[in-house]
Amino acid sequence: MTQSNFEAGLLFDEMQLTLDEFARACRRDAQWVKDRVDAELIRAAVGNAIVMQFSSVDLIRARRLANVEAMFEANEDVAGLVVDLIEEVEHLRKELNVAKLR
Amino acid sequence: MEFKDYYQSLGVAKTATQDEIKKAYRKLARKFHPDVSKEPDAEARMKEVNEAYAVLSDTEKRVAYDNVGQGYQAGQEFHAPPNWDAGYEFSGADSEQASDFFENLFGHMREGRRAQGQRQQGQRQPGQRHQQMDIPGEDQHAKIVIDLIDAFHGATRQLVLQAPQIDASGHVFMQERKLDVKIPAGVKEGQHIRLTGLGLPGMGASKPGDLYLEVHFSPNEQYRVDGRDVYAKTPVTPWEAAIGGEIDVATPNGKVRVTVPAGSQSGRKLRLKGRGVPGKPQGDLYLVLDVVLPVAKTDRDREIYQTMAREMAFNPRQQITS
Repeated sequence: MTQSNFEAGLLFDEMQLTLDEFARACRRDAQWVKDRVDAELIRAAVGNAIVMQFSSVDLIRARRLANVEAMFEANEDVAGLVVDLIEEVEHLRKELNVAKLR
Repeated sequence: MEFKDYYQSLGVAKTATQDEIKKAYRKLARKFHPDVSKEPDAEARMKEVNEAYAVLSDTEKRVAYDNVGQGYQAGQEFHAPPNWDAGYEFSGADSEQASDFFENLFGHMREGRRAQGQRQQGQRQPGQRHQQMDIPGEDQHAKIVIDLIDAFHGATRQLVLQAPQIDASGHVFMQERKLDVKIPAGVKEGQHIRLTGLGLPGMGASKPGDLYLEVHFSPNEQYRVDGRDVYAKTPVTPWEAAIGGEIDVATPNGKVRVTVPAGSQSGRKLRLKGRGVPGKPQGDLYLVLDVVLPVAKTDRDREIYQTMAREMAFNPRQQITS
């Protein structure tokens, strides 16, 4: 297969998303994202109201927030708590996996 | 295509109220949420449940679905009659990665088809300009599973994705597309690879969306990954652990020779700086020592162990009181 048949994408964190791109990737509008950045539920890589950029971790978290809010008609704070707990479970599972190596 | 029984998917009767549908959905969402569920097919079930709820929670979609699906059973071959949706105006966000059944009935292309249909039926007045629908394509998300070794050296993977397309007669159908994707070296778990313009097609003059690939590593017996740090289970002999010594260890980046410090126990971690997944910052490799006892297979083996028992005065249970 020739080189030109391969799609080479960009590693997300080497080229972070703008606010509009991030909002589209979350299937939400920019105001939804801004509200959650203000509420410290999503972290913007550059914490500036004019120029915001987001990383992979932020995208995973934001999509989870959007998902929980839609699924359970939860307000942003409850969704934030749920996502915090999901992340904590993930972290603990990783630690457990490392401990299992012993 | 196969008919999907959305009432069956949610476990509700066809006469269920909107409140009953919502309760059933939330109960299943808690059970199959892919981030916490232990069910083996959680992700697939969640998609099925989401799709069913997207239709049954929307009054207009539900009515349309009930009408078009009369007499059909789940799994039965289904064809929507022509113009079945005349008189309906569907709106709102639809399920991500919906089935071809869903897309065929409620696909987001529907607004374009209706506009196209109006032009074909001559509803455009003389002198009236074409009303082009310009809708940007949606982004698409997919997970891609790679081996740890691919994160060190990079790799290529073929992905098969489904996306809604419109045929010449304006019908929506799901089309499979294959993409050969380059995975760059240095990628870590949970990171995204963004492929610009490879998402869902837009309408009219609008650009297609982007494709985001969320990277995950396949399970590995020997290695665990945390960010760019790699933890490798490293068996050692009792004498290597007790009196130290040099050992050769295979790593994702080739063989290395390390010195096991004397007095090591199982669980001790030896850090090899900069030998984890490449990137900024570079990850480290941790060798997690696992002292493995040789089995006493022969009389000579047993004699050696008995000598140790007799002459080493070692009691690991000394600290445990009843």
